[in-house]
Amino acid sequence: MSRATQRGLLGAVLLLGSWEALARGLALPAYTLPAISDIILATWQHRSLLASAGWYTLAEALLGYAIGCTAGITLATLLILLPPARRVVMPAMLAINAVPVAAWSPLVLLWLGIGMASKVAMVALAVGFTIFLSALAGFDRQDRRAADLLRSFGAGPIALLFRLRLPAALPLIAAGMRVATVRSLIVAIVTEMLGAQGGLGWIIYQAVVQIDFVQVWSAILVASVLSLSFFGLITWLEQRIIFWR
Amino acid sequence: MMQLRALLRGVVGLLLAALLWEGAVLALHIRPEYLPRLSTILAAMAATPGAYWDGFLRTLAETLLGFAAGGFVGVLNGVIFLRLPALRDMLFPIFIVSQTIPVIAFGALVVLWFGNTLLAKAVIAFYLTFFPVTVNTLLGLNAVDPRQVALLRSFGAGPGTILRRLQLPAALPQIFVALRLAASLSLVGAIVGEWFGDTIGLGVLLLQAMYNENVVSLWAAILCAAVLGTGFYAVVAYAERRIVFWGAEQ
Amino acid sequence: MQRRSLLAGFGAALASPALHAQTLTRASLRLKWLPQAQFAGFYLAKAKAKGYYAAEGIDLTINPGGPNLLTENLVATGADTFGLSGGTDSVFAARDKGLPIICVGVAHQVTPFFFVTRADGPIKTLADFRGKNLTAWFTGANYVLLGMLAQAGLRAGDFNLQPQQVSVTPFIEGQTDVVTATKYNEFYTLVSRMGRDKLRTFVAEDYGITFPRDTLIVGEAIAKEKPELVKGFLRASMKGWREALAEPKLGVDTVMGIAPTLNREHQEFMLTEIGKLMLAGKAAREGLFWIDQDAIKSAHDFLLRYEVIKQPINLATAYDRSFLDAIALADRRA
Repeated sequence: MSRATQRGLLGAVLLLGSWEALARGLALPAYTLPAISDIILATWQHRSLLASAGWYTLAEALLGYAIGCTAGITLATLLILLPPARRVVMPAMLAINAVPVAAWSPLVLLWLGIGMASKVAMVALAVGFTIFLSALAGFDRQDRRAADLLRSFGAGPIALLFRLRLPAALPLIAAGMRVATVRSLIVAIVTEMLGAQGGLGWIIYQAVVQIDFVQVWSAILVASVLSLSFFGLITWLEQRIIFWR
Repeated sequence: MMQLRALLRGVVGLLLAALLWEGAVLALHIRPEYLPRLSTILAAMAATPGAYWDGFLRTLAETLLGFAAGGFVGVLNGVIFLRLPALRDMLFPIFIVSQTIPVIAFGALVVLWFGNTLLAKAVIAFYLTFFPVTVNTLLGLNAVDPRQVALLRSFGAGPGTILRRLQLPAALPQIFVALRLAASLSLVGAIVGEWFGDTIGLGVLLLQAMYNENVVSLWAAILCAAVLGTGFYAVVAYAERRIVFWGAEQ
Repeated sequence: MQRRSLLAGFGAALASPALHAQTLTRASLRLKWLPQAQFAGFYLAKAKAKGYYAAEGIDLTINPGGPNLLTENLVATGADTFGLSGGTDSVFAARDKGLPIICVGVAHQVTPFFFVTRADGPIKTLADFRGKNLTAWFTGANYVLLGMLAQAGLRAGDFNLQPQQVSVTPFIEGQTDVVTATKYNEFYTLVSRMGRDKLRTFVAEDYGITFPRDTLIVGEAIAKEKPELVKGFLRASMKGWREALAEPKLGVDTVMGIAPTLNREHQEFMLTEIGKLMLAGKAAREGLFWIDQDAIKSAHDFLLRYEVIKQPINLATAYDRSFLDAIALADRRA
């Protein structure tokens, strides 16, 4: 075990330890800050409920993520291939992006209802923009000399794209995709808390209303684990695919 | 002259977009429940300008406070972690995990602890911004050419001097990348924070409009948020261009 | 971690009547939802032109509620002094969980919501709910619905009950068969978009179920240490409500001043309906915020029967009518 990992574990242990000590020592009521041991116990007790809610939210996040990534990369590619389109579309894109993601939630909920569709749409929006901007930045970072060289060999814009720009942009796209994993779950949960039929955000909302704060923290714990797992999965996939990093 | 032309282009672009909006709604018979006419929205704002203006200012204040705190603490963290790698190893994983917790989930607790104040919203905004700034500061500081550090040290420069004169300036481009991101994130934090029983703010207007099914008011609040977001981002980007004049990394 | 109430330092000063005018006690009221005419009386009592709370020696801040806040929690931790909370159901839940709050007044004397279907649709009686799509808020209204349906012989599984959405549009567009509506809020939207004659309503009281809501709560400690504060708050609130109900235009104007983006007609409708709810039952005789022990017991037994509450709750301590009794009848009546 490396030094860094050891210290990381030490940090975690210290944090959890002081949390438990604070909660028990000050005899804090559950509605202020429950003890971490209570939270873990409750999570285990309600594991089936939390698991199904977790799958529900994860499904929304994954679907939105997939749609967002595809749309973001496709749009960035189109704008690179058609520079005039870029000048027209970019201002609109920046305008939509200027509105904080959270501000779109009420509108999307009114449009698409409280089923999964609204959550998928919100995640796709948030992820799509992150990926779109990363991809655009990646494509812009081209090596002029390499591009000129390929062009001197008669390569057209499409060939240039696939052989030079796309591979060069991959690191930035990959970075964007990693950041977007965590965002996707958070956006799904935030939207669920405004109106949903299931999912972790829904559990949190119900728990607050039923004055069950241990349940709130249990749901947060599950959400955290899912986020980290998703993040880990994408990072692992990227290391396999982008082998020259 | 260049800036004036760019400004004019921007204004013309906005006007065209406005006309397109109005035209599309009329021509395509879009129902007002989905997308009202821009003129209707602007009229609604003009009918009760106080609410939108006060909301704009309040949200701006929360955003600025959270941004400033998050930016300052983020840079501080980066510097501390550079000097004390042991601390970085201990705290970084915790920070990462903290960022996976949807802050809205313990927003109720934030209100309990900090009350219904500007501070509570600023705390949420701070929470969203400090981590990206920390990460990028560390990235920037670590990217400094070690040979330059060694050179300065050979001239007898202490760690404080090296930090001030070499490392921080060299890290600035990367720090600003994070600050531009933080500009949008602190606004999100402020808006979400206002959903916990606040009285004034753009987030409050959004929530009221949603629960009253007032789509016109909802779009009005969205427009105000867009103006705030774009304006703040532009200010930070401008500061970046002036301060980091040797070229910003994307 | 606990936020101590701001009243801590003012205890001694309250004792001297001569100091009432100079030292106002800081207190806050947390509402159960976003600002609207449902709370007109409180806003009016606080308004600068009226200053009823100030006259009672209270410097009151009114904090709105919202979808993510629980009033009982905020009052229990001292973040707010008073609260206008969900209803008898949320007070029971809070006491069940050991939160140190008590109810000192009930605003809505009867169930403020009902279940709405299309008048020309296939649903004529409760039995017709079988197999249909129902929506209700899962914060209390769902139990009332389940209780009513149980009387018609329907149990879980005989129908499709979903949490209700923010908007009543799905019902209007025919996606759901039964929608839950408060008499003063969602019902306005339904009436204005569909017409009153197109709607059929199912009222809980018709089936022997009553669910009083909008309960005024305060922390146990405050109630014990500062009874004058509680009485003063109640008296001033009653005064504000008396005036808001007598002069609806003033009431609505005050609310529109707080939240200018509200729809005026909607708020006027709301205030009229709220007045009916607040003066229903015993409140007509005994005054505003009256605690009808029979109604409370009925709601309690109902929730106990459906195992929403796990064990019986001491109603005498949870619902303290001593503060109301201490106020003169003339000051309580609307």
